[in-house]
Amino acid sequence: MDAMNEIIQIKNLGKTFKDFWHRPVVVAVKDLNLTIQRGEVVGLLGPNGSGKSTTLKMLLGLLRPTSGAIELFDGRGPEDVAVKSRLGYLPEVSHLHEFLTPRETLMYYASLFGLPHAAAKRRTNELLEMVGLVPAADRAVGRFSKGMARRVGLAQALINAPELLILDEPTSGLDPIGCREVKDLVRLLAKSGVTVLMTSHLLADVEDVCDRVAIMNKGVLCANGATRELLRNPEIVRFSIAGLSTETAADVRMQIEKQVDRPVHQDFPEMSLEAYFLKVVAPEANGQAFKMAHFLEK
Amino acid sequence: MRIIQQSLSIARTTVVESIQQPVAFLIFAFGVLSTLLVPIFQFHRFSEDGRLARDSGFSTLMVFGLAVAVTTAGRAVAVEITRGTAAAIIGKPVARSLFVFSKWLGVCGVILLFWLGMTAATLLAERGSAHLVVSELCTHAQHGADDPCETTGYVMDSVTLTLGICGVVIALLFSAFQQYAKRRRFGVSAFIGIAISQLTVVALCGLYDRMGHLRWVITNAPTYVSDLDWRILSVSVLVLFALLIFAALATALATRLQTGAVLAVCVLVLLIGLAGDLFAGNAMLFSVQGFLAGILPDIQHFWMCDALAQGGQLSWHYVSEAGLYALGCCTLFITAGCLSFANRDLG
Repeated sequence: MDAMNEIIQIKNLGKTFKDFWHRPVVVAVKDLNLTIQRGEVVGLLGPNGSGKSTTLKMLLGLLRPTSGAIELFDGRGPEDVAVKSRLGYLPEVSHLHEFLTPRETLMYYASLFGLPHAAAKRRTNELLEMVGLVPAADRAVGRFSKGMARRVGLAQALINAPELLILDEPTSGLDPIGCREVKDLVRLLAKSGVTVLMTSHLLADVEDVCDRVAIMNKGVLCANGATRELLRNPEIVRFSIAGLSTETAADVRMQIEKQVDRPVHQDFPEMSLEAYFLKVVAPEANGQAFKMAHFLEK
Repeated sequence: MRIIQQSLSIARTTVVESIQQPVAFLIFAFGVLSTLLVPIFQFHRFSEDGRLARDSGFSTLMVFGLAVAVTTAGRAVAVEITRGTAAAIIGKPVARSLFVFSKWLGVCGVILLFWLGMTAATLLAERGSAHLVVSELCTHAQHGADDPCETTGYVMDSVTLTLGICGVVIALLFSAFQQYAKRRRFGVSAFIGIAISQLTVVALCGLYDRMGHLRWVITNAPTYVSDLDWRILSVSVLVLFALLIFAALATALATRLQTGAVLAVCVLVLLIGLAGDLFAGNAMLFSVQGFLAGILPDIQHFWMCDALAQGGQLSWHYVSEAGLYALGCCTLFITAGCLSFANRDLG
């Protein structure tokens, strides 16, 4: 591993939540070691209460580790304000000021990053267009559906064009089109060099976009590796051939069975339900990148 | 420069979010209306014209101001910590101490608006309450214009009171119209509108006398006499200082406690602060009373409405010294709030 490219270094990280009397109540994270390289898309997986969100909050300096250390970018701690200006964070629930409009919310967050007014306004308009909230840009977010609030949350996470994007359940509350847009966006951000660390309960989402997954359970890191490596089953070999006639397929199958002296399973690959849904409701997308990704490419 | 921009943004958002709350403008509207209604239901002079209206105005300013300070700080800090909005801000390049300080600035902004409206209402209530008018230049239709007449007796300035009350109603109606036609925030428009309406009436009341006659008609020349008791201003500024201290205390407490507990502590500090001299006047430094008197603000320094009795005056020198004391108290509480928030887990 290239130490210069390590954007996140987590060393022996632990977090124990304590009660009023400082007695330990819950051990949320235990001795976690994890390194993330620049440009990687890493999925942090685990069941409820496995310590994923706690880890993300420690990365953002919202929670203080009980033990261990976190180094971001050039070995700085997560409390460092300079580090935070290079981060984007989408929380699990989009915590927004209920009386502000999406436009005001984005302008507000832009000002927290010190963006000049004109630049903030331009960036706000771009992001509103990207997340498809231009028609609702001047309505108070307190009345938004969860999906719309999520879009505002995603836009605010990108307001500073971050180098490291931390997404906690990014597709939660979004419809399938929104989910697909977010996934396409994550892929394109990664292509442009942004490092992404995300958690999700939807394993298919993580499988679709993440180069690497780390799986936590009861606060402990149980698995960590490249997604394809972890999912590969070397015991089974699959050939994919398009447009094969039934007779030819039967011949090929017979030939292979002769060679390996074992039964050969033959089936037709199915598209995912998500792909089928998108084909039905948004055929113009043709399985390709949607508005957000198009916007980013532009 | 960036810190100032961040601080002002957080403070501004705090003001908007706070005054948009229905409870904020209800407290404000109720405070202003009850102050303006005192002269109408006044049955005792307390040996001085306008004293009841004046003292009631100060009391309402202090008590309602404390409620505004606590509810605003509770919402701006405690509720935001619980809801996760605070975590969203701290997740950005904002230092925790800056967050606490900026939230206090925002609470101060709300209190300042409240104070402006309430002080204006107190000035109007004092002018509107019954005063003994020995000689008044007046114009009656039967006397004809410019014809002076002698009036002696208690005269209530009903025009000023009516204008003040109508100002509140107009501010609410205008805000409702703004919300309907331009989708402006009702709470924000109403809160600011009420303050502006009272200040406008303060400016207008110099154009007519206590009987409601336009001065320029009487004198045949542009004449402006405010006829307001401006001594109210210095005492009111002192109450503002006390409220800013409570805002700092409430902001500091809200980093760890919920709004109900913050209110309880603030009321306790108010009571101890008002009665401090009674139980800690001669207390030893190293006693419980002495300790409490040392660390808690002495609110008596800021409650000087009796100084105006019988024509008394409060010097601005005293006000400036009290301001320095208030600044010290605010610095102490905000520092404590920053320390308390520095290690608080969020999210």
